[in-house]
Amino acid sequence: MAQTKPVIALAAGDPSGISLELLAKLLADDELRQAAHFIVIGDRRALKEGERIAKVHVDIPDWAGPGNAPDFSKGAVLLDLGHLDEASLTTGDSSEAGGRFALQNFRKALNLARDGLADAVAFTPFNKHAMRLYDPSYVDEIDIITAELGGGPGREFNVMDNLWNARITSHVPLSKVSSLITRQAVLNGLILTDRCMREAGFAQPRIAVAALNPHAGDGGNFGHEDDDEITPAVADAKARGIICEGPFPSDTVFLRAKRGDFDAVQTMYHDQGQIAMKLMGFEKGVTLIGGYKVPVCTPAHGTAYDIAGKGIANIGATRAAILLAARLAKPH
Amino acid sequence: MVRPLLLTQGDPHGIGPELALKAWARRHQDQLAPFALIGDPHVFQRAASALDVNAPLRESATAEAASLFDHFIPLIPIAGATPEAVTVQAIAEAVRLIHQGEARALVTNPITKAALYKTGFAYPGHTEFLGALAEDLWKTPAHPVMMIWSELLAVVPITIHVPLADVPRLLTQDLVMETARIVDRDMRNKFGLTTPRLALAGLNPHAGESGTIGREDEDVLRPAVEALRAEGIAIVGPLSADTMFHPEARKTYDVALCPTHDQALIPAKTLAFDEGVNVTLGLPFIRTSPDHGTAPDIAGRGIARPTSLIAALKLAARLQP
Repeated sequence: MAQTKPVIALAAGDPSGISLELLAKLLADDELRQAAHFIVIGDRRALKEGERIAKVHVDIPDWAGPGNAPDFSKGAVLLDLGHLDEASLTTGDSSEAGGRFALQNFRKALNLARDGLADAVAFTPFNKHAMRLYDPSYVDEIDIITAELGGGPGREFNVMDNLWNARITSHVPLSKVSSLITRQAVLNGLILTDRCMREAGFAQPRIAVAALNPHAGDGGNFGHEDDDEITPAVADAKARGIICEGPFPSDTVFLRAKRGDFDAVQTMYHDQGQIAMKLMGFEKGVTLIGGYKVPVCTPAHGTAYDIAGKGIANIGATRAAILLAARLAKPH
Repeated sequence: MVRPLLLTQGDPHGIGPELALKAWARRHQDQLAPFALIGDPHVFQRAASALDVNAPLRESATAEAASLFDHFIPLIPIAGATPEAVTVQAIAEAVRLIHQGEARALVTNPITKAALYKTGFAYPGHTEFLGALAEDLWKTPAHPVMMIWSELLAVVPITIHVPLADVPRLLTQDLVMETARIVDRDMRNKFGLTTPRLALAGLNPHAGESGTIGREDEDVLRPAVEALRAEGIAIVGPLSADTMFHPEARKTYDVALCPTHDQALIPAKTLAFDEGVNVTLGLPFIRTSPDHGTAPDIAGRGIARPTSLIAALKLAARLQP
């Protein structure tokens, strides 16, 4: 008998952009169908729309939901929630209905993983504005995953080819960052980065740690956190066998990583990593939310409303996201 | 008479002196405008010996430097008690020569502040020293503003060498507006742009997402942008710092202003690590410098690359004094 494939709960994203097209394209992709079994969460009409735009045919049966064994003879099944508002299809604009569709699919996918029915979660892109129209309290995926999957809170990783980026603080005011950069927080971040990368297949991930202050604080002249918090945290992490170095000035650390000195950069706050990664082509990369019972992966790019319905969406980042999810998943 | 650019020696133990010689050697290939070195002759001779290249240094008065430049490396000698003392005196003398109208612009090699403090140098850095010299000679207030410029991107960090934790407090509407006014004025006067287009980065992630991730973008930066626009300055923002540097976005502005050092320096170094030039705006004269440090660990080994210095020399020659 063939080795058990991981089951990926795959949530359809925002129906107004390219997410349905990507969904259909990836379900028609032989390499991805080989890598995992999929439980697609969405609506049959949404999948049909994706097939129409992508000009592919996706032959997958319905799944009646928990309590029934999914029929993976076609490699994938569809959990049809029947909740699509057809007015939101491929409009090229954000809407409350689009946000609701994406968020309900995502919550359902997380619940399936929580209940042991899926080994990983993936989703095609959401639109943050649409999510907020539906749920004004929405900040980012982390809160939703923590609520629906349990455990955590996890952390976002940006993965581009073989370069990873994780950050200690994320969507918080800059004025709060300094107080959140503690020895313990940095150490916890390094432990999680090391663990997730080992699970993804790195034997010994080499992690560069970015400084918080300009020029890594210039010996304490421009702030003390680099010397007092980050340097001891790096020593603590090394003592645990984690391969890491730093803190390095953040304006050149990504260049060093890109040329191959490191596999990952652990940044301290949002813009440090996001500016560099996006400049280096991260739109083609993968966002992984790790640190939970199962990995959660999505392409780094957005819903691309400007090319909705044209059939020209590139599936590269989505394919990378699915393959990473399959690699990180532990089949049950 | 062609007025030369003046290139200071910088840290006598760093890579500045040898890069100066390497840049001169490329004067034809890179079509460099005439420049004169200014500093301790021994420092440059030592660099020439270490490099083992033909470096025909020729002591010169400022007025003769440009005519010598094709065949010799003109050098305005400065005497001092120590090479470090000369580092400081060379900067002061260069600014004086520019003020007198003998030289066109200043290009500075990097300095090591710790070494200069031993000679009694009392400024936080190069730029503050230049500001003080300018106020003394021109008798007008100087507000130096650092810009990192390359063909791909020009960025101005609004706060520079301060702890990140202090940035929200230091980032006042006045500071943002004063910085933007200087950038706007110098992009017109020195860079020759008719209507400079400025873009202001947000302080918080995603520019605060309408105030939900920190208030400063709405309470400080947005009012500053509105007031600047009312003054006739073409500025937009606050923009999400992580999406304003991709090629399509960069076409929409001439200079990006960033609240923090790293928001500005990360894209500058990622896009143009070797070609970045540090330009000081807000001075009554042109000043550029290479965007790297003194690198004493590789000085004298001949491996330092003059790419950024050459870019600094070219830009200094191109700007309007």
